[in-house]
Amino acid sequence: MFIGEDLDRVDVLEKVLGKARFAHDLKMEGMLFGCVVRSEKPHARIVAIDLSAAMAVPGAARILSHKDIPGQNAYGVIRKDQPLLAADRVRYVGEPVLIVLGEGEEAAREVASRVKIEYEEIAPVLDIEEARRGVRVVHDSGNLFSYKKVRKGDVEKGFAESDVIVSHTFRTAWVDHAFLETEAGIGFMDEGGRIVIKSSTQNIHYKRAEIARLLSIPEEKIRVVQATTGGGFGGKLDVTVEGFLALAVYHARRPVFMRYTREESMLSNTKRHPLHVEYRTGAKKDGALTAVKVSIVGDTGPYASYGDSVCLRAAVHATGPYEVPNVWVDSRLFYTNGPVSGAMRGFGVPQLALAHESQIDEVASLLGMDPMDVRIKNGLKRGSVTATGQHLSASAGFVETLKRIEPYWRERKRSKKASGFGLGSMYYGIGNTGVANPSRALLEVVEEGRIVLHTGACEIGQGSDTVLLQILLETLKMARAEVVLDRGDTDTSKDAGSSSASRQTYISGGAVRDGALKLKEVLEEAGYYRGRSLSDIYRSLAGQGNLFFEGFFDPPAAGLDGETGQGVPYATYAFATHMTEVEIEEPTGTCRVKKVKAAHDVGRGINPRGIKGQIYGGIAMGIGLALMEEFIPGRTTSFDTYYIPTSMDMPEVDVMVVEDEEPTGPFGAKGLGEPALIPQAASIVNAIRDATGLAVYDLPCNMERLKGLLEDKKKR
Amino acid sequence: MLSSLPAAAIVAGGTDLVVRMRNGERHSYLIDVAGLSEIAGITPEEGGRLRIGAAATHGQIAADGTVRKACAGLALACSQVGSPQIRNMGTLGGNLVNASPAADSLAPLLVHNAMLALEATGGARTESLERFITGPYRTTIGKTELLCSVSVDRLEGYEEGYRRVAKRAAWAISRLSCAWALREEGGLIEDVRIAVGSCTPVPFRPSRAEDFLRGRRREGPVIAKAVEMVADEIREKSGLRPSFAYKLPVVRDLLAEELGGRSCS
Repeated sequence: MFIGEDLDRVDVLEKVLGKARFAHDLKMEGMLFGCVVRSEKPHARIVAIDLSAAMAVPGAARILSHKDIPGQNAYGVIRKDQPLLAADRVRYVGEPVLIVLGEGEEAAREVASRVKIEYEEIAPVLDIEEARRGVRVVHDSGNLFSYKKVRKGDVEKGFAESDVIVSHTFRTAWVDHAFLETEAGIGFMDEGGRIVIKSSTQNIHYKRAEIARLLSIPEEKIRVVQATTGGGFGGKLDVTVEGFLALAVYHARRPVFMRYTREESMLSNTKRHPLHVEYRTGAKKDGALTAVKVSIVGDTGPYASYGDSVCLRAAVHATGPYEVPNVWVDSRLFYTNGPVSGAMRGFGVPQLALAHESQIDEVASLLGMDPMDVRIKNGLKRGSVTATGQHLSASAGFVETLKRIEPYWRERKRSKKASGFGLGSMYYGIGNTGVANPSRALLEVVEEGRIVLHTGACEIGQGSDTVLLQILLETLKMARAEVVLDRGDTDTSKDAGSSSASRQTYISGGAVRDGALKLKEVLEEAGYYRGRSLSDIYRSLAGQGNLFFEGFFDPPAAGLDGETGQGVPYATYAFATHMTEVEIEEPTGTCRVKKVKAAHDVGRGINPRGIKGQIYGGIAMGIGLALMEEFIPGRTTSFDTYYIPTSMDMPEVDVMVVEDEEPTGPFGAKGLGEPALIPQAASIVNAIRDATGLAVYDLPCNMERLKGLLEDKKKR
Repeated sequence: MLSSLPAAAIVAGGTDLVVRMRNGERHSYLIDVAGLSEIAGITPEEGGRLRIGAAATHGQIAADGTVRKACAGLALACSQVGSPQIRNMGTLGGNLVNASPAADSLAPLLVHNAMLALEATGGARTESLERFITGPYRTTIGKTELLCSVSVDRLEGYEEGYRRVAKRAAWAISRLSCAWALREEGGLIEDVRIAVGSCTPVPFRPSRAEDFLRGRRREGPVIAKAVEMVADEIREKSGLRPSFAYKLPVVRDLLAEELGGRSCS
C-alpha cells in the first residue's frame, strides 16, 4: 500500500513554495549576531589578544573566549579532543579562537575584523610525509592518530599462487561538502530558563550532550531542534554553530543568531580525507582473486572528528565487493596542521573504490578478460565470506546489480572516437562500524484521533521523513491523513542517532516499525481495524495512561578484533554497480560524463522516486570527486575557486533497483545514501582508461591532469 | 551626471561590480546605464560594419540574427558566458570596461577589429579594442567617460568559430579561449584572423601566424606550423608561466582542430 510507492515528500510543498524556514531564515526579536574569530596560522601559540579596537566598534556587544566556558572545552564525536575555542595554541588555519557578539551582522563582522591576535608561530606539519617522519609534531603524543588492520588468510601465499599481480598507488584530495546552506542556527533562552538551539544539523541528541558538557549543565536544561536543513553530507555531524550559540546565550541571556559565509564554511568545515592507497592485487589466469594487500595512509588534520571511523571503514572495505581468500590491510591516519578531515559521504570508501575498481579493470586487461566477467566471478554473494570473516547469509544482491547492467555493457558502442565506458562497483556496510548504534522512535495517540510519530532522525534532504512515514503507514495500515510527523526536537523525541552511515532507513526505519507493531497490537485489540475511530480509542487509552509506544532497533553487529580486524562490523551491506560513458575532448583534456546506468541493491525500495533522487545526487557528487573538486589550503576560498558540477554537467541517468530483501530491515530495506556516490568516481576513471588507454591514479582528474597524461602518452 | 558626482561608478549589468562591492569595494554613487536606449540595440552602420550598443546583454547578442550571421564567433562566445542569469544581466560594455583577461567577448571582438565609441561631457573619441585594454582589468577609459558602443567588421562569407575551455559545462570562467575567422578563395586562405583569450595578460591577435597563413593552402603541415607560431607569440608576450604546461598544448591542439577544418582532422 505504501511501500514501493512514490509517496510525495513530506517537505516538498513548503520547499518548492519557498515557505520552509531554513536555519538561515531564523529570526527573533532582539537577537544578537554571533561570529567567530579564527586562527590565521596553521600552528602557533597565542601570545596576546588585543580587543580594544574591536570593543570600540559601535554595536559591539561582547567577546567570549575559552575562559568563558564553564564546563569542558573539548568536544568530539569519538574522542573529546577538539577545543570549542582555542586556549593558548592553534593547530589549523580557521581554528576558532573567540566568539564576537554584535548588534546585527555588519557590526559583529566589523568587530571581529578589529580583533588583534599576536601569535608565536610553531613549525607546522603540512603533509602526510612530514607527519610520518614525526620530526615535527601536532600533538605531544606523536603524529600517528589511528591504526587499523584487517588480516585474513596468508597474503604472501596468495601472491605466490597468483598468475598476475597488479600494484599501484592511488591518491585523493581534500573535498568539501559544499552543502547549499552554510552552517547556521539560532539560540535563545526559553521562559523556563532553558537554552534552546535551532540549527542546521544532522543530529540533535549528540549536540545536546556536547552542549551539556561544555556548559556543565544537565541535558534537561537544553533543547536542540533541527531547523529545515539545506544539506549535510557529513559536514553537519560535528558541532558547528551549536556550541558557540549555547555559550553565547548562556552569557548574553539574549537570542543569538549565527550563519557562516561561504568563505568561512570552506575554511572551517571538515573535509573528505585525502588518502594514499598502495594496492597490490593477485589473481589466477581464470580471473579468480587470490590476494589483496593494501596500505592506506591518510591526513586527518589536527583533531579526531570522525577520523577513527574513516580509518576503520576504509580498512574494512578495502577489497571492494569481492571474495578474496587472503587479505592484508593496514590503515593509518596521521595528524597534520591541515584542515580537520572528518565525515563525508562514504567515510573513506569512495577513495578505496577508486583503488579496488581500477585494480579489477587492470587485472581483467592483463588476463584478456572482460571486466564484467572478473567482477561476476569474484563478486560477494550469499554464502561468501568477507575480508573480516563475516559470512553473508542474506541480502547480498551484488551479482544481481552486475547482471542488470550486463546487457547494456555487452552491447555498448562508442558514440565517438573519444568515448569510453567504465564499470564501478561497491559494497557498503549500513550503520556504524562494529559498535552499537541504536535508534528509538516514539509513537503517540493524540486526542484529535491521529498518530504522531516523534523522531529524532534528521531530515537533511535525503528523504528520511517520508520513508519513516511510509514504514509507519504500511505497518499500521492507515491513511496518510491519520498520521502526523514531529521530527527533530530533543524535547519530544528519543535519540535516533545521526543521519549518517546510510543508517536512517534501515535503523530508524526499524525502530519505527518496532514501535508501530506494538501500537498495532493495541489498536487491533481496541477495535481500530473493525471500524472504531482513533479519537474514541484515544479516550480509552488515555484512561489507562497508555498513549505512548516506543520502538527500538539496534542492528546485530559485533566488534572487530583489534589485531586481525575479524568480526561482524555490520549487520547488512548495500551493493551497487554503475556503468558510465564518458567523452574525452583530447585537445583540451576535458572529460564529460554522458550516460550512467546505476544498479543498486537496496534490500527493498521504500520510495522509488526518493531512490532516484539519491542516485542522481550521488552521481553529481561522484563527478565532482572524479573530475573537479579539490580543496587547496590557502588557495581555495569559495565557489569561485572550488568548482562543483552544475546541472549542465549531469549525464543521462538510468536507475535500476535490485531488491534482495534484508531480513532484519523494515520491509526488507537497507540503505542508499552513500552507496549512490561510492562507485561513481571509480566508474569514470575506468571509462577514461577505456577511452584513452590512460590509467588515472590521482584524483581529481581535472583538465590539467588529463591533458598532462595525454601529452605524456604522445611523447612515449 | 558622471562628471558632477564624486566617486561614482557606472552599473552596466553589475555582474562584476556587485561581486566586488560585496567584497568591500565602496562607491558613493552608482549610475545605472543598462536602460539607456542611446547605448542599446544592434544596428548596421555605414561601410559594412555593425554597431553593438554597450548596453546590449550577452543574451541579446547571442540571440541576434545579424550578429549570428555577420559576427558568429561573438554570438557563440556570448552564449557561453556564465549562466542564463549572468547573460541576461551582463552587458558587452560592462565586459569590456571590466577587462578581465578571461572575458569571453574579447577574442571574437579582436577578430572583428572592434572599435569602441566613448563619450564624455568634454567630447567623444573612438579607440581600437587593442589599444583600449592596457592590462588585466586596466583600460584607457577616463573617470568621466562612458563607453557607448562597439563597431565591428561584418564577416559574412567567413568560416568562424569560438572555443573556450572551462572547468565544467556551465557557469565557469574561461581557462583559455580561441576565436577565429577564415575565408578561402581558389583553394588558398584569402584571409584569416585568430585571437587567443585567457592566456596572455591581454587577449591578442598572433599576427605572424596570420600573415604566414594568408595565401597558403589549408592543409596539415601549414596549420601545424602556424599553431607553433601562435605558441611562440604567446611565450614572447608573457614569458613562461606555470599554467603554460597546460595551456600551450591546448592552444596548439584546439587551433589545429579548428583551423584544420574537415580536411585535416
